[in-house]
Amino acid sequence: MTVGEKKESPTPRQETQLRKGKPDRASRLVFIRKVWAWIFLLFLVIGFSIASKQANDIDFVSLRSVQGILTYATQILLIGLGETLIIIVAGIDLSAGWVLGFSAVVGATVMQVLYASGASPFIVISVGMLSGILVAVIPGLINGILIARVKVPSFITTLGIGVLIEGVALLVSGGYPVVKQPPYLGQIGNSSVFYYWPDHGISFFKYPETAVQADLPNISVILPTIVLITMIVTAVVWFILAKTQFGHHLYAIGGNMEAAKRAGIPVQRTLIKVYILAAVLAGIGGVIWSARFSSGAYNAGETTTLNSIASVVIGGASLFGGEGTIIGTIVGALILATIQYGLVLLGVVPFWQFIAVGIVVIVAVIVDQFGRTLGR
Amino acid sequence: MENLLRINNLTKRFGGLTAVNSVSLDVNIGEVIGLLGDNGAGKSTLIKMVSGVYLPDEGEMFFGGQKVNFSSPRDARDMGIETIYQDLALAENLDVGSNIFLGREILHTYLGGLIKTVNRTKMREEAVKALDRLNIRLPSLTQQVLNLSGGQRQAVAIARSIYWNAKLMIMDEPTAALGVSEQRKVLRLVNTLRDQGVPVIIISHNMQDVFAVATRIIVMRRGKKVGERMTNQTNPDEIVSLMVGAEEAQESGIDLNSADPE
Repeated sequence: MTVGEKKESPTPRQETQLRKGKPDRASRLVFIRKVWAWIFLLFLVIGFSIASKQANDIDFVSLRSVQGILTYATQILLIGLGETLIIIVAGIDLSAGWVLGFSAVVGATVMQVLYASGASPFIVISVGMLSGILVAVIPGLINGILIARVKVPSFITTLGIGVLIEGVALLVSGGYPVVKQPPYLGQIGNSSVFYYWPDHGISFFKYPETAVQADLPNISVILPTIVLITMIVTAVVWFILAKTQFGHHLYAIGGNMEAAKRAGIPVQRTLIKVYILAAVLAGIGGVIWSARFSSGAYNAGETTTLNSIASVVIGGASLFGGEGTIIGTIVGALILATIQYGLVLLGVVPFWQFIAVGIVVIVAVIVDQFGRTLGR
Repeated sequence: MENLLRINNLTKRFGGLTAVNSVSLDVNIGEVIGLLGDNGAGKSTLIKMVSGVYLPDEGEMFFGGQKVNFSSPRDARDMGIETIYQDLALAENLDVGSNIFLGREILHTYLGGLIKTVNRTKMREEAVKALDRLNIRLPSLTQQVLNLSGGQRQAVAIARSIYWNAKLMIMDEPTAALGVSEQRKVLRLVNTLRDQGVPVIIISHNMQDVFAVATRIIVMRRGKKVGERMTNQTNPDEIVSLMVGAEEAQESGIDLNSADPE
């Protein structure tokens, strides 16, 4: 009995056929879903180039507009990074924008107080920003515990915590923007990394000392500091998601939470960590907002949450969990920022932004579903 | 034959219900045990005690000659008892390697352990070894498990257990959701396991499957073991009658035809 059965080693014909057919279809599906957003972005840029040339005779593709788009994209992206991780574990974070506002208010309040007390600029900036970022851990931890331990759906938890945090931020700030910030705060937030002055050389983080007002138009300002910071943060989050065991576990949890549990993955701890991480990223977004606008406002991230979720979805993540990449979210954020910037440049009433973003999100979901049916 | 698992008078009650009533059985190396019974016969409860999900109320278990008390599925798995449930517990969005190493990923370490990354290449290589050991061929190891057939997924789940040194494999309805040719492949895998010294307990409703692979058949009814037969010394009719109770009635000497016990 043993000998007879051993001879039939399992090399069935069906599997050979599968080998030929399925990977092709699957890879085609993966390909479409990977590249469509890039192609869409390209068409968007071409469309805006033609439109802005005809309407205002402005070149859309320029150093200025690229940097403008990147600056627009920073806030969407910072929240979008955390949102990507959470959507991969089949959750959603509706509180992120309010956490951003909360961090902006707390950070700005600390800086306001320290500045008034005459502390050194280094102390004011480092303590202020650090407290703004760290305070975001609190809502993140509460979100995580409620979702992972108490099993409240993430949609409800983060909605509740978001509204609650909005209330706290309103109480802290009294409903007004937190102003009276040190002048150097705005300088940091609006500085760029390189200032290139032809024939004079490059200086870093500020205009060359010798330049006078009349020289400024000749100086090329390259790479806004907040864009650089966002790039670094993005690279770190990409590394965490794509390379580390923690990131790997996020995909496993999103794919099959029960299987992850049975395999010994610390599901609860991982979920709590991911909500904290997302909140901290929103906190970074909050202090960057403060630096940009020399202020802190409870509603600094009001529209960002949904834009960020949109960018994650455009980037190919599945709201059912288990799928999504940082690269995808970057493209999604760039698409939204390009639409916003392009419409402003064309002088279109800004309300059209919302309509455009809504359409793009729906197109993204349709493309995604189309790709999936194709793969089956 | 060397004994691997011995169960003595295992009992499990849920409130007033005795789900498993003083069941004893032996599993030896080189065997495939078919565990049969109608719904609610106590098969799953018995298996869950062996795999550490339930604590038995009475009775004892010996694994490899050593008395064991499992307080969690983890304990049982650490001893080498692997259970594959119908849902297979695979993360279908991940590739084969990632599933075999789910929760126990192979890591690269950098800067003296400060930075650790998942070593996908190594996981894939090890996956190939595990699959080769069972003569399993898959179309592609880089694909998501989602794109594999039901039988191939079952093979991945089995390969995972084997990779982690399963000494006893318990399979709950392994062929239930499969097409005919896929069923046959899975049964062949069961034989491969047995030949490699890993005995298998199969829970199934499918009489054909059990007769195809099992060396010994154990029948349960209403929480009790009502029969134990060598497969080559019985036939499906006898087993069915054991499952529904006719045989038990005869064995215990009650005459079904007589209306009056006097």
